[in-house]
Amino acid sequence: MSSDSPRLRLEAENVGYTYPGEPPTRALEGLTLSVADNEFVALLGPVGCGKTTLLRIFAGFLTPSQGSVRCDGASVDGPSWQRGYVLQESSIFPWMSVRENLEFGLVAKGMEPEARRARSDELLHLLGLSSFEAAYPKQLSSGMSKMVEVARVLATDPSMLLLDEPFGALDAQTRARMQDELAGLWEQRRKTVVFVTHDVEEALYLADRIVVLTARPGHVKQQFKVTLPRPRSLETRFAPEFAALKRQVWEVI
Amino acid sequence: MSLVQRNRIKRALISLGTIAVVYGVAAEVGRYVLPHRIWMDVHYIDNVELLPTYRSLAEEMAFLLQSWILPDSILVSTGRILAGFVLGAATGIAVGLATGRAARLEYLADPWMMLLRFTPALALLPLYVIWFGYGEASKILLIATSVAVVVMLGAHHAVRGVPQVYLDAARALGASPRLIFRKVVLPAAFPQIFASLRVALGLAWVTIVVAELIDAKMPSLGYLLALSGAYPRVPQMLIGLGTIAALVFLSDMLALSLHAKVTRWMRRTG
Repeated sequence: MSSDSPRLRLEAENVGYTYPGEPPTRALEGLTLSVADNEFVALLGPVGCGKTTLLRIFAGFLTPSQGSVRCDGASVDGPSWQRGYVLQESSIFPWMSVRENLEFGLVAKGMEPEARRARSDELLHLLGLSSFEAAYPKQLSSGMSKMVEVARVLATDPSMLLLDEPFGALDAQTRARMQDELAGLWEQRRKTVVFVTHDVEEALYLADRIVVLTARPGHVKQQFKVTLPRPRSLETRFAPEFAALKRQVWEVI
Repeated sequence: MSLVQRNRIKRALISLGTIAVVYGVAAEVGRYVLPHRIWMDVHYIDNVELLPTYRSLAEEMAFLLQSWILPDSILVSTGRILAGFVLGAATGIAVGLATGRAARLEYLADPWMMLLRFTPALALLPLYVIWFGYGEASKILLIATSVAVVVMLGAHHAVRGVPQVYLDAARALGASPRLIFRKVVLPAAFPQIFASLRVALGLAWVTIVVAELIDAKMPSLGYLLALSGAYPRVPQMLIGLGTIAALVFLSDMLALSLHAKVTRWMRRTG
């Protein structure tokens, strides 16, 4: 590996996945993709193109039917907290308070209560949810509870984030705010991110690279480097380069 | 107390009050209109009050209280319910959790569950008498069995029904199977397990009446009812029924308030 090309974190080679059934569903076929260290990659594609399947393979919940997936050179073998995975559906634990949710991954790691508390204090403060620490998720808006889910994963400090349409169910305004939060977090503390979305603007705003998948069975159709300057802001959304790139991406989709 | 609760209590009082008045009038009229002599299959029985007046109910109640028949019956029957319920619930929860969690165990247990679901526990009564003899053991075990079947099915399906997203999220966060069971499966399954406990508690009261006909001895509510039918003494019958209804209601209220306390996290409608 040459010094100027960044280290590869995730490598999917010729990956195929078929869901058993009558008839079987071929979700992915011949997909090759790699993600570099600290890179923010957005996976974009039509509904049912296998984006979620690919992410679940990266997360270790599915084993590819063909091809191979390696993380840091080793074959992916089951889930790991090192690859922090936020599911598409709401998975905040409704029977735990906000703080308990944030600390769950830390409990799993066997962290001492004082250290857990310090870490969750930090995250509560970051999310502006300090007054909600003892609240149950039913008292949160859907945007906030999704943010708690993301923060719950961040709490364990994984080196990689796999996010499956985290803001898919939110209204446009909340979504834009959450995107800012995420972009801010990421700029403060770089991580390798794979972000699934079907929203072109969201992908452009957040990612370093956009990977467009084909319809089922999904494979990489085209990739776009997003060189928009960081930190990104409202200005970014109205910059001519943004509009030009958006047009290019739309033409492929 | 919220306005909704206060309105609910008000409604209950008005509706019960109305029934009480209607009954009182009907009983007073009935004293003159209804027959006091009834044909019971092979013979006549005299001095029967088909619709006891409040006065005879009060007299009967005074007798049952002064003789300690009613308080003792309540104590004895409630004690049996408690013993049987605790035993049955513990067994049912343990087995249900195990079969719900372990796929291999479920493979074995599934046909058994079907069989149990369609076997009324009460029908085991004669068998239990032969196995465990007349006495406390067969009564308590009969209650325990009817409770265990309901609770086991409840716990089994509760565990099966825990949404996969929670299990996935927990695994992704690095939780061990043990931690997932304690912190995810149990709390997620809890509301449904509790609902089955509530149903089972009601069923336990049904079972006790029948169970107490084995080795029928005073004091017990089941036998009190049976005796009142044998005399027959309608006032005693009504008091026995009322007592059981009140106890079922009370235990259900207790269960409900406990349920509300431990599931504060759930979304509530109304």
